[in-house]
Amino acid sequence: MTRPSPRTVRRLIGLAVLVLWEAVPRLGILPELFVPPLTKTLAVLWSDRLIYFGGLMVTLYEVFFAMLIACGAGIALGAVVGGVAVVRNLMLPVVSSLYAIPIVILYPIFTAWFGIGSESKIAFAGVYGFFPVMLSTAAGIRTIDEQYLLAARSMGASLPQLITRVIIPAAIPTVLAGLRLGGALTIIGVVVSEMLTSASGIGYLVTINRTILDSPRVFAAIIVVLLLSIAFDLAVRAIERRTMAWQTAGRRVASSEDVRAARMPAPAAA
Amino acid sequence: MQPMAKLKPQPETTRANAVEVTGVSHIYHGRDGAVPALTDIDMTVPAGRFTVIVGPSGCGKTSLLMMLAGLRTPTSGTILCDGRPIPSPDPQRVGVVFQEASLYPWLTALDNVEFPLALKGAPRSERRERAQAMLKLVGLGSFGGRYPHELSGGMKQRVSIARGLVQGPPVLLMDEPFAALDEQTRMTMGHELLRIWDETNKTVVFITHSLTEAVYLADEVLVMSARPGRIIDRVAVDLPRPRTYQMMATDKFGQLRERIWQQIRAKE
Ligand SMILES: Nc1ncnc2c1ncn2[C@@H]1O[C@H](COP(=O)(O)OP(=O)(O)OP(=O)(O)O)[C@@H](O)[C@H]1O
Ligand SMILES: [Mg+2]
Repeated sequence: MTRPSPRTVRRLIGLAVLVLWEAVPRLGILPELFVPPLTKTLAVLWSDRLIYFGGLMVTLYEVFFAMLIACGAGIALGAVVGGVAVVRNLMLPVVSSLYAIPIVILYPIFTAWFGIGSESKIAFAGVYGFFPVMLSTAAGIRTIDEQYLLAARSMGASLPQLITRVIIPAAIPTVLAGLRLGGALTIIGVVVSEMLTSASGIGYLVTINRTILDSPRVFAAIIVVLLLSIAFDLAVRAIERRTMAWQTAGRRVASSEDVRAARMPAPAAA
Repeated sequence: MQPMAKLKPQPETTRANAVEVTGVSHIYHGRDGAVPALTDIDMTVPAGRFTVIVGPSGCGKTSLLMMLAGLRTPTSGTILCDGRPIPSPDPQRVGVVFQEASLYPWLTALDNVEFPLALKGAPRSERRERAQAMLKLVGLGSFGGRYPHELSGGMKQRVSIARGLVQGPPVLLMDEPFAALDEQTRMTMGHELLRIWDETNKTVVFITHSLTEAVYLADEVLVMSARPGRIIDRVAVDLPRPRTYQMMATDKFGQLRERIWQQIRAKE
């Protein structure tokens, strides 16, 4: 018997989870209050689709602006911190320790400043997602191989050319990793803050339905958040594939070119 | 051998000396105070000659090369490349090849060779053509579409040489370009370099730790002392050209190698 591919196994596991989700409450192994059957959950998701869609739109709106803040400020400040030694020595220890603080305890302050509308969520989630973006941008720029810069200077590159043609492309992989983490944290930040204090959004739908013990509606909201996170991850992966084509190009070329290509060394760590 | 007739100011004609270093010293001001890296270096490389610099590790070879490339300013003394001072890098006068091929992994081999031309804003078609011609010169005509990680170490250095030559500089500086290669590839690359040198009539300044490589390649070997670096010997290598691998087994080759080795060892 041949071993099934990991992909097949993953799909089987996914399928099993869905089956169990349906079967466990139906068979009375767990009460429906804890886990409502999948079909029931999907049914309320469909019947309340306008409510969930409205909630999703609010959440998406907040996530969009929060990501704008997190990525924009994170990349800009990360570039300064990574590129300018004086700023780095001054700021990096501070930022790194701030990063360890559970920022969620600051959320009440954000509501005091910005109210309980979307502004406070945007501000909070923006700050929440900012740190990984900033730290990885700084790391991406600081760890650029000196040789890249030296070679570019020897070829007559000016400072703007160094930045656009060497530093940015060299830092992109690390920055993208930070964007991925920062983006995920931004989504978490928005949903969590909606759950804490708000009057709209997917997080609000989770909280409000939990207080009235309407489990299918809670789970329906969870499904929406899950789909949102998965969609975000797929989008970032697609961007990574596009911008880092050179890292994966090897397989494509090697299959079509001569045998000498087989003598390829492992890609140098960038 | 040309006399040092550099008095006539004729920018049109080819200069007798491609590289002239007079009384160059360099001091680094690092964390632990001033480090004198080079003292009173004099060296002249006539156009079209192949000069190799050897010396113990840390004696300032790389520092000297950086100054020849305009990447560093000497603390004192003057440097003329192709007859003029070189206060900042000028890839049209001096091409540089480093030990690490330092190709950009996000660019194909062809794009890497085009890089210096792109910096200058040369038109795309001209860039392509020149870069392709250079890749052909180094024997990689059909590998332009490869990314660096799809090339072997020797191929990467070939691309790096093509990149150094693409602006047509009369002078090529090479800092231990083959040090990271295995012995066989290193020999082949040395041979290839001599072929390219012969075809293009460049002036080459080449740094190495391998005495065999030094004698095999050079017209003249400059031997440097340990830090602070000085030139302690100039060994003319009068083996006939083209050089062949068989020459390595000759007495002459061995004697030259021995003479250089004695100089380096005596100073350690
Ligand atoms: N940026 C710097 N700051 C301070 N000291 C430096 C710096 N760069 C080099 N040095 C010192 O100058 C000396 C010469 O360095 P250099 O790299 O030129 O030597 P090298 O001959 O190329 O050595 P190797 O053969 O190991 O490559 C060394 O002692 C080194 O420690
Ligand atoms: Mg060196």
